[in-house]
Amino acid sequence: MKAKRRRTPGRLMAASIISFLASAFLLLGLKDLNPVTFAMALGVPLSFYLVTVLVPRVFPADRLLLTVVNFLCTLGILVLYRMDPKLAKGQMINYAVGIGAMLFFIYFIRLTQRRRPLVVFLVLASAGLMVLPLIFGTERNGARAWVSLMGFSFQPSELVKVLMLIVEAYLLTRRKVVAAAAYAGFCLLALMLQKDLGTALIYYSVILVMLWVATRSGLYLGLGFLGAAGGAVVGYQMFSHVKRRVAIWINPWTDYEGAGYQIVQSLIAIVNGGFWGTGLGLGNAYVIPANTTDFVFSIILNEFGWLFGICVILLYLLLFLRGIGIALRSASRFNAMLAMGSSVLIALQAFIILGGNINMIPLTGVTLPFISYGGTSMLSSLSIMGILQGVASLNENEMEEDRELAMAQGGNI
Amino acid sequence: MKMIKSNIRVITLIVCALFVSLMAFAAFSISTQGQRWFSSSANTYLRRTKSNVTPGSIVDRHNVLLAKTDEQGKRIYSSDPAIRKAVVHAVGDDRGNIAYGAESFMANYLFAYNESYPERLAQALRGEKRRGNDIRLLIDSALCKKAASLFPAGKSGAIVVMNYKTGEVLALQSFPGYDPVNLSQADQENPLKPFWNRATMWSSAPGSVFKVVTLAAALRNIPDAMDKTYECTGSLEVGDTSVTDAQHAVHGIITLKKALAVSCNNVFAKVALELGDASLKKTASDFGIGDYFLFSDLVVQNSVYPADDRSEKEIAWTGPGQSRLQITPLHMAMIASSIANDGMMMEPRLLLDVVNGAGQSKYSFFAKEYRHVMEKVTADVIADYMREAVRSGTASAAAVPGLDIAGKTGSAQIDGQTETNAWFIGFIDDSRYPYAICVAIEDGGSGGGAAAPIARELFRYLSGK
Repeated sequence: MKAKRRRTPGRLMAASIISFLASAFLLLGLKDLNPVTFAMALGVPLSFYLVTVLVPRVFPADRLLLTVVNFLCTLGILVLYRMDPKLAKGQMINYAVGIGAMLFFIYFIRLTQRRRPLVVFLVLASAGLMVLPLIFGTERNGARAWVSLMGFSFQPSELVKVLMLIVEAYLLTRRKVVAAAAYAGFCLLALMLQKDLGTALIYYSVILVMLWVATRSGLYLGLGFLGAAGGAVVGYQMFSHVKRRVAIWINPWTDYEGAGYQIVQSLIAIVNGGFWGTGLGLGNAYVIPANTTDFVFSIILNEFGWLFGICVILLYLLLFLRGIGIALRSASRFNAMLAMGSSVLIALQAFIILGGNINMIPLTGVTLPFISYGGTSMLSSLSIMGILQGVASLNENEMEEDRELAMAQGGNI
Repeated sequence: MKMIKSNIRVITLIVCALFVSLMAFAAFSISTQGQRWFSSSANTYLRRTKSNVTPGSIVDRHNVLLAKTDEQGKRIYSSDPAIRKAVVHAVGDDRGNIAYGAESFMANYLFAYNESYPERLAQALRGEKRRGNDIRLLIDSALCKKAASLFPAGKSGAIVVMNYKTGEVLALQSFPGYDPVNLSQADQENPLKPFWNRATMWSSAPGSVFKVVTLAAALRNIPDAMDKTYECTGSLEVGDTSVTDAQHAVHGIITLKKALAVSCNNVFAKVALELGDASLKKTASDFGIGDYFLFSDLVVQNSVYPADDRSEKEIAWTGPGQSRLQITPLHMAMIASSIANDGMMMEPRLLLDVVNGAGQSKYSFFAKEYRHVMEKVTADVIADYMREAVRSGTASAAAVPGLDIAGKTGSAQIDGQTETNAWFIGFIDDSRYPYAICVAIEDGGSGGGAAAPIARELFRYLSGK
């Protein structure tokens, strides 16, 4: 008996995204009359179609998750193209590589199911990667988190994020709290030494969430919060740029032409956009420094308006809830932890940078997943999606087996 | 496994709450502060659109033209140079020299950002160059001109006139003013900073005009305050200093009514010590001192009640309005208004209405209550004492025959200044002329001598007597 194909709003969603992308690039093309822009108007929707509609036919993948992620990625390419076409070209390559990584992780997750040596290997790999920038690192924006190798520069802590999820899920489901804490401590120490505090914050909160979910221990939670408070105080005292960020957060307008310039211009760009936005290509968010990485959301609010911005926030929430759904349907503790950790990581990272953009919390320089420009960021975010997709496909298999079992017993479902 | 799943549900709720708070925070901060961000001088987008939209014109409450843009796209101001100079801080100029004048703070109307997309589209289809909305302010330019002519030449300070029943601001003036059409080198280099709107941004110790707040605290917290007497010996030793009065006057044994009329520092220092810092601060905060002012039409510097180092000496000096109190002239006018309006402080408003190019009204003034400061009985007693100050006390220069005037003077001592700052707050207690006034002259001498006569002339002008 063939499973009935359920009618989903997926097709409609994909169709509207494709027409959105095509018309957006056409609009930009009418402005600059550049043949490349017209080519993009064909190419970007086409690649969206290929990845969203064709990939699930070949690979086991959750369609809704894929649609949302691809929309966010292509929206990023659109916004980057509007700011700087060269960056968009780079981002398309990042996107292609990221999709490859996603597909890889769908299968890689199957390998990790009952293989202990693999986790040992992952621990060693992440340790090596974390130490790299301390030896070969170059400094950018006050953080020493980047490594240049053979013309490529990348941020190892972004890659370790993915490995960290697998390692922590493995250790915590086996109640190896000490080992999990030691591994977390090592990663955090390395991040502190790299002065990459935004990433450290994400690691810390995700690991704390995973620890609590695995143990539901008030003691660990309390220790975790104590550690966070201690870390915050030490970080505030130790790093002058943390002090500066906090001062800017409290009142960016006291020095709106100097230290507070970035956040002030972000707030202004947001109100200039208003409810409907200034219109694609008509805004002035290019005055914000780091507008293609940390402040990419301000461009979106500026040119597409608050209404669209709220929809983007809701898409992250949808992504998160879909991920949680996958976690709740998992058959094994390991898979549940993995899916939950991945969803929480993406959601928290989005929250931390979105909150920074609107000056709700102090700004920490992390990327907005899928949208911000950045090769390593795209790679890690899509790999994490690969983990989620992998768990989802395992869930499907599980259900299929149940169904077959039930059929063999002559039951009905 | 079951535990993990229930834990996951808890985490899900927390993350959802984070996202909801993110959106709530954005909505809250945009709705309360969006206009301030938008009209900031750091907004380059605003400068750019100015070339695409013809800004609307600005008129005063009697439809007297204050600013408009002519066919050549040039911004022109009132033809009377005295009016131009008198209203410049409320109106602003097209160069953005005034931080929150109507020209910049109301740019969303003047440049038609408030218009909806169908309206914009209709204009584009009709092939019109976009035109902003016209705004009518609540200020009265003739009154402003009169006030400017009364203000001593070469001095700096502020005059605020407001309707205490509705919060309408009729005059919001800072001195020295300047002419936005003929902006001279001398204006730009003037050490008295003509671009600075002292009415809203200059917060300093107000001196004895603050005694009305101390009095309110006494009436609320000291049971027999109206009958009680205090002795003024001319000098009150507190810690290592002494609180003295102007010309070292000795007032003898007096009631609070008399003490307010003669503005006795000595007695009000005693009252402050008797009340204690906490209850004085409580009443001050009821008057809005320490509030984060987020008014819809005006940007005002917040007033400050000193928080640290509250020694006996500091508390004693707070009674007569010295210490490190910081209050703006506009806020003092609001305090006077709340006394006149039976204890209800109205939000100061500047915008009367907004009309778009097609003649449709887009906004209309309405009175907004800001905060309930005190009970009517307290307000009535303070008003009565202020009436006494005009009848027989330091504010007698503000008296107008045939009008019921209540007032209080202040001569604030500021470190490093040879002369005191002259202050006057007061109002006409008459429902036909519901106006409150604050006059503040920096380095101007005594409040009774310098500020009260200006207020008298304005009261006369307002009532037509």
